[in-house]
Amino acid sequence: MNTMKILIVDDSVTLRRILINALKSIGYTDVVEAANGKEALEKLSSNNIDFLITDWNMPEMNGIELVKEIRANPSYSSLPVLMITVHGSEQDVIEALKAKVNSYIVKPFTPQELKDKIEAVLKTVQVNSP
Amino acid sequence: MNHLEVENILQKAAEMKVFCEYGQRTIPVLDEIAAFISEISPAIEELKAVLEVAMVNIPKAANQLTRVTEATEQATTQILNTLDKMVVKLEDLITAVSTSTKSKDLDNLINKMSALVKALVDKSGWDNDVVQLAETWDSMAKSLKAAGIADLEYILKNLQDDCTEIMMALQVQDITQQHIGTVMGTIQSVAEELQRITKGFFGEPMKKEAVINLDLPPNPELVSEQERKKMVDELLNKARSGQI
Repeated sequence: MNTMKILIVDDSVTLRRILINALKSIGYTDVVEAANGKEALEKLSSNNIDFLITDWNMPEMNGIELVKEIRANPSYSSLPVLMITVHGSEQDVIEALKAKVNSYIVKPFTPQELKDKIEAVLKTVQVNSP
Repeated sequence: MNHLEVENILQKAAEMKVFCEYGQRTIPVLDEIAAFISEISPAIEELKAVLEVAMVNIPKAANQLTRVTEATEQATTQILNTLDKMVVKLEDLITAVSTSTKSKDLDNLINKMSALVKALVDKSGWDNDVVQLAETWDSMAKSLKAAGIADLEYILKNLQDDCTEIMMALQVQDITQQHIGTVMGTIQSVAEELQRITKGFFGEPMKKEAVINLDLPPNPELVSEQERKKMVDELLNKARSGQI
């Protein structure tokens, strides 16, 4: 079991449930949910979040806007962020990277793929941290 | 009448000639245009009627797609609910098996057999052969207990993995929903464009039903899932190495 607290942001209840189960199956049980970017910002301020997983398409504030907000805030500027989306074009990936997401996973994914991405992000963050 | 006046009259006459020649050539063209307009007028009216139907049917089609999406989401939720229950039950079973609740019968049998073997050892006065048999039995009993529980646990955990796999496959509902959203976005754009064109062409906007309002992914890709993932990973690697 991993004690890392993960915030998942997706407007689809179904996808959040799938994601929670996938995370549980790979050992991450401490999960907080948000339905959009605005709610995510609220949850971020009221929880000690260690990792953020966000969808791209969401009402109110989409994933890219959320990441930009987060990166603009010094408190969360180094928070590891993994973006989950159906967008798989080169342009989309570049847009996400410009918004400073740490990594990017295209739906549909398996729990193992999710685990690999999370671990890769954590390694990158550790390497880059002072 | 002097020479200049004569020249002027001749020039005007030449211009008149050119004008008449031009008119002779132009009049048939104008006749053709008039004929063409009278020919296409019914076609324009027909087009208007078709567009009016389209303006009503396009939003209807989009609404039908919305209903399909809602129905698949409901079905997905039901499947998820059942899978959740199954996973909880499997967890209970795994816990029960690991604490030997379910293998109680097997344990009882093994324990009874062990008691018999022990009694036999005692009764035999610790005969070497009987002690050796008892040792062999002890070893077998341990293997039997471990194997029985481990197999059952293995099967239950596999079932749990299968449940997770089914859940992951349900992502297709979300992906489909987003692609349907894209189609609806395209339909909406077409409807809006038709509205704009018809307004300019016929002078008044046509009937239009409620606007479909969705958040839409801009460009669904017609490439395989593996190709997309490979491309994404390559881009991420390039970004990490500072190439982009």
